Amino acid sequence: MEKSINPQPIYSVSDFIAVVNQTLEFAYPSVEIEGEVASFKVNQEKYVFFDIKDSEGSINCFMTIWQLRMPIDNGMKVVVLAIPKLTQWGKFSLTIKSIRPSGEGALKKSFELLKTKLEKDGLFSLERKRLLPKLPNHIAVISSTGAAGYADFIKILNDRWGGLLVDVANVKVQGQGSPDQIMRAIDYFNQQKKMPEVIVIIRGGGSADDLSTFNDEPLVRAIAASRIPTLVGVGHETDQSLADLVADVRAATPTNAAVILVPDKNEIIRAVTTQIDLLEPRIIQVIDRQISSTKSQLLGILDKAESVLNKQILHVLNLKSILFQLNPNMVLNRGYAIIRGVIKKGVMIEIETKKAILEAEVKNVTGK
Amino acid sequence: MSQVNKSIQEKTEQLTKLVEWFDSDDFSIEEALDKYKIAEKLANEIESDLLLLKNEIQIIKKNFDSEK
Repeated sequence: MEKSINPQPIYSVSDFIAVVNQTLEFAYPSVEIEGEVASFKVNQEKYVFFDIKDSEGSINCFMTIWQLRMPIDNGMKVVVLAIPKLTQWGKFSLTIKSIRPSGEGALKKSFELLKTKLEKDGLFSLERKRLLPKLPNHIAVISSTGAAGYADFIKILNDRWGGLLVDVANVKVQGQGSPDQIMRAIDYFNQQKKMPEVIVIIRGGGSADDLSTFNDEPLVRAIAASRIPTLVGVGHETDQSLADLVADVRAATPTNAAVILVPDKNEIIRAVTTQIDLLEPRIIQVIDRQISSTKSQLLGILDKAESVLNKQILHVLNLKSILFQLNPNMVLNRGYAIIRGVIKKGVMIEIETKKAILEAEVKNVTGK
Repeated sequence: MSQVNKSIQEKTEQLTKLVEWFDSDDFSIEEALDKYKIAEKLANEIESDLLLLKNEIQIIKKNFDSEK
């Protein structure tokens, strides 16, 4: 009999599953798939199961709750990074490494869900907000050093103030792994013996997807938990991230973060110069006021003296007038005469008139 | 660096107090000239300190890509 040669190996079921998984791993070490979430459920508060589907297909997905960085809900469009796998029960599934909302609608829905959750936890309450140091000496910056937002921040910071020690953690500020890098940087600064006085987290503008890093739940919680006060300036003025909401102080942009952080030295120089410029006229004003006051006092004294003098003059004039009236010549002028001598019959007397002095004999004296 | 910033703060506070003295009841012409000279000197020092100071920016060497 001819020996039969079988070219096809015969596998056990588990071996075949292992071979398929090896083949899959070789072909797709990891794969990104976009689709809509369906049948989302969490078992034992640990394991997350859902389907990712489009109009013509659906795949089972599995992940742990700790890998879920943002809230996911049925109907939400997502992008998953996953490892395809055939389970020991022969079911094809995706083991999810990460998942993120995709598209404006899904991002917005995820943002709102997480916002509500964090708000309930009190992470945005005003009582939690700490003041930034008025004039810090040592600051930490978490950003991508190659990004325009970082360059803007440093330029404005240098223009406005000097003498700062600025420690910069160069991290990814968008895409896969960026929230973890920022969280490690926050942790790094919080572990320092000489901690910076403030942590500034910045990145410039970008798409909603780019900025979604700053809506990552663990990152938002890490910012909230930082022992060092935080200042977050992400995107443009109109952008709002959960990192902004949880920060001690929110800056509208990276440039605005620098403005909030330090005063403008040029304004201070102007203010100081103005203060000094105003001192000189102030001194002159005081001297003028004193001169004017002394003058006015002198004038007062002079007025008083003049008044007293005038009174005296008037008094003297009155006396003079009285004296004038009492002058005997005035009486003679009015036609009267002065009689000198004893008024007795037969005695010689002297009579003085205005114009002459007469001698006369008293002929008779009659009482009135 | 931090000491320099502190010194600017101290000088600014000192200058503010001096300027306030000129508006206070303690003001006297006899003392005003001396105080003015001190204030002017402080203002010049603050200006030159501010213009000379540079920030020291250092990029942390640690790689934040992984836990290590």
